Amino acid sequence: MITHVYALKEMRRRKYRTATNIAGFVIVVATLVALVTTARGWEAVTAAPLKEIGTDLIMIYSAPVVPSGYGCYIANHLFSYPFNQNNLVEMANVAGVDRAVPVLMHRMGAIVFTGIDPCETETNAVLPKNVVEGRYLAPDDGAVALVDREYARLNNLTVGSNVVYMEVEYEVVGLVNVDAANILESHIYVTLPVCQKALPEDSTGLANIALISVSDPRKVDEVSEELVSRWPRATPITASDLAATTSGVLTIGEETAWNISIALAVVAVLFTIRSQLAAVSERTREIGILKAIGWSRSDVVSQIFIESTLQGAIGGILGGAVGYGFAWYFLSTMGGFLAVDPVVLAAGFGIALISGVAAGIYPSWRAARLTPAEALRAV
Amino acid sequence: MNVIEAQNLSRIYRLKNGGEVKAVDNVNLLVPEGQFLTIIGASGSGKTTLLNLLGGLDKPTAGRIVVEGVDLSDLGEEALVRFRRKKVGFVFQAFNLIPTLTAVENVEAALAPTGMPKAERFERSMSLLELVGLKGQVDRLPVALSAGEQQRVAIARAFANEPQVLLLDEPTGNLDTVTGKEIMRLCHKASKERGQTVVAVTHAGYVKEYTDRLLYMKDGKFSNTVPEGELEEPVS
Ligand SMILES: Nc1ncnc2c1ncn2[C@@H]1O[C@H](COP(=O)(O)OP(=O)(O)OP(=O)(O)O)[C@@H](O)[C@H]1O
Ligand SMILES: [Mg+2]
Repeated sequence: MITHVYALKEMRRRKYRTATNIAGFVIVVATLVALVTTARGWEAVTAAPLKEIGTDLIMIYSAPVVPSGYGCYIANHLFSYPFNQNNLVEMANVAGVDRAVPVLMHRMGAIVFTGIDPCETETNAVLPKNVVEGRYLAPDDGAVALVDREYARLNNLTVGSNVVYMEVEYEVVGLVNVDAANILESHIYVTLPVCQKALPEDSTGLANIALISVSDPRKVDEVSEELVSRWPRATPITASDLAATTSGVLTIGEETAWNISIALAVVAVLFTIRSQLAAVSERTREIGILKAIGWSRSDVVSQIFIESTLQGAIGGILGGAVGYGFAWYFLSTMGGFLAVDPVVLAAGFGIALISGVAAGIYPSWRAARLTPAEALRAV
Repeated sequence: MNVIEAQNLSRIYRLKNGGEVKAVDNVNLLVPEGQFLTIIGASGSGKTTLLNLLGGLDKPTAGRIVVEGVDLSDLGEEALVRFRRKKVGFVFQAFNLIPTLTAVENVEAALAPTGMPKAERFERSMSLLELVGLKGQVDRLPVALSAGEQQRVAIARAFANEPQVLLLDEPTGNLDTVTGKEIMRLCHKASKERGQTVVAVTHAGYVKEYTDRLLYMKDGKFSNTVPEGELEEPVS
C-alpha cells in the first residue's frame, strides 16, 4: 500500500520530529527494561545467600543483631537464647510455613562449629550438593564431621583424618565446598545431637537457628512478622534485610519499576500526540489533496496511525536494547546477574506499540475531520 | 446529455463574526457531455467554491448537483469517496503534489485506494507520465521538478482513474505563457480524446483557443458576457 511508503517518507522528511518521538518511546521501554531487569537481578543477588541453603527466612534466637556482612555473619551474634526443638515444631505449624529446620551454631575463636539434621537435604546449613569429597552426614553418625574444603587444605585435613574442636576429636568423612555467600558458612559440621553434646552448656534438644521455608515466596514478610510476634526474641533475616545491608545501592522493587514505566509511557504518548498534531496541521493541504483524489477517511487515518505506531515499534525495539545495556551496566557494577527475560522485552515492546497507537488516535481524528475543501484551503 | 447539472446551487460561508459570504449564489449550470467549459472571474468571485461543489469536495448550502445522473446529496460518505475517486479528476493551481512522494508515487496515490495491484498501478502511472511527457522524470520528487512539470504530474494523476469529469482550478495560474499554453493544450487534447467533460477556471488569455464555452462569474453568479480587460492577455 502506498500509505506505508508515504508514512516512511514522511518520517524521513521530518527526521527531527521522528527522532524525538522515537526517543520518547525508547526512554519508556529502556526505563522499564532497565529497572525491572536490575530489580530482578538485584533481588536474585540479595536472595542468593538464602537460596543457596534452600531457605526463604532465617530466624535467629539471639540478642538483636546488627547485620555486618556475609561470612560468619550469624555466628558472630549467636548464643544468647537458644530454641527448644519443640519451638521448631510450632514454627512449622504457623500458616504459610512449609518447614522449619533447626541448626545449632557455635563459635570458638575463629572456628565455627555447626550441628545439622542430616535428614534435611533441601534446606540446611550444608547440603549434600556441597560435598566435594567423601560423604554427607547420616542421622546416626557419631563423632564424625564434614569439614570445609578450604579449612581442610589449610590444616592438612583429608577424608579419614581427625579434626579437633573443644578438645574432642571427630573423624572427617567428607569435604564440603560452601559458597562464600552462604551466611551459615562454617568450618566443621556434625549432626545436631553430636553438636549439642559437644557444647559446654547443657544444650540437649536446643538449636539457635531456624531455617524457614515458606509456601509462597511473596509472603515472606508476612510470615516473618507472624513468627516475630510469637517469638519476640527471635530476629528474622530475609532477602530484603540482606539487601538493606548493602549500603549505597538504590534498590527499587519490580512493581515500582513498572509504575515508573507506565507513567513515562503516558508522558511519551502526550508528547507524541502533540508532535503528530503539528505534523497533521502542517500537512493539512496534503490531506486535502489526498481526499480530493479519492482517499477515504480511513486511508488518511491509517496513514497517521502507521506513522505513530511505527515510531512506537522502533522505539520499543531500540528501548529494549538500550534498557538491557543499562541493566547490564548497573548489575555489573553491583555484582548482580543479568537475565534476559523475553516477557519483559515483549511487555516493553507492547507498551511502546500501544502508546504509538494511542498517540495516533486524536491527531488522525483531527486529520479525518476536515472536509476536503476545508483542508485544501490550508497553505 | 448533460454530464453536470447544477440547480439553484448556493454555498454560503458563515463567518465567525456572524456575517455571511454568498460565495456561490443560486447558480444554474448545465454542462453537456464532452464540453470544455471555461469559467473566468475576479478573485473571490466563487470559482473555487463552485468547482469544489461540483467535485464533491464540499457540500452546498442549498440546491442540487447531479453528475452523470447521480445526485450528490444522495451520496453517503463512502459513496462520495468513491465518486471523488472514480468520477472526477482534479488539478489545482499549485501545490498539487505530495512533497515526499516521487512523481510516479504521486500518480500511484490516486490508484492505490482503488485496490489496484501494485504492478498494474505502477505501469499505469508510468504510461500516464509518458503521456504528459515526463518519462525521464518519474523518480523525481516535486521539488526537483519545474512548476510546469509538477502540473503535468497533477494532470497525469487526474487522468489516472479515467474520470468522466475533469475539474481544473487555475491549472496554469503559476506558469509562464508558453508553459501555460502547453498545459492547456495537453488538457484539451487528452480530454477530447477521452470524451471527458471539463470545467476549467483560468485567467489566461489563451483559453479561448481551447474552450468550447466561456462563462464569467461575479459575486457568486454567472453572466454570459465577459467584461473588457478581464482576461490577462487580449484574446488573439
Ligand atoms: N471557508 C471559507 N470561509 C469563509 N469564506 C470563504 C471560505 N472559502 C471561501 N470564502 C470566501 O468566498 C468567496 C469565494 O471564494 P473562492 O475561493 O471560491 O473564490 P475564487 O473565485 O476561487 O477566488 P480566486 O480567484 O482568488 O481563487 C471569497 O470571498 C472568499 O473569501
Ligand atoms: Mg480559487
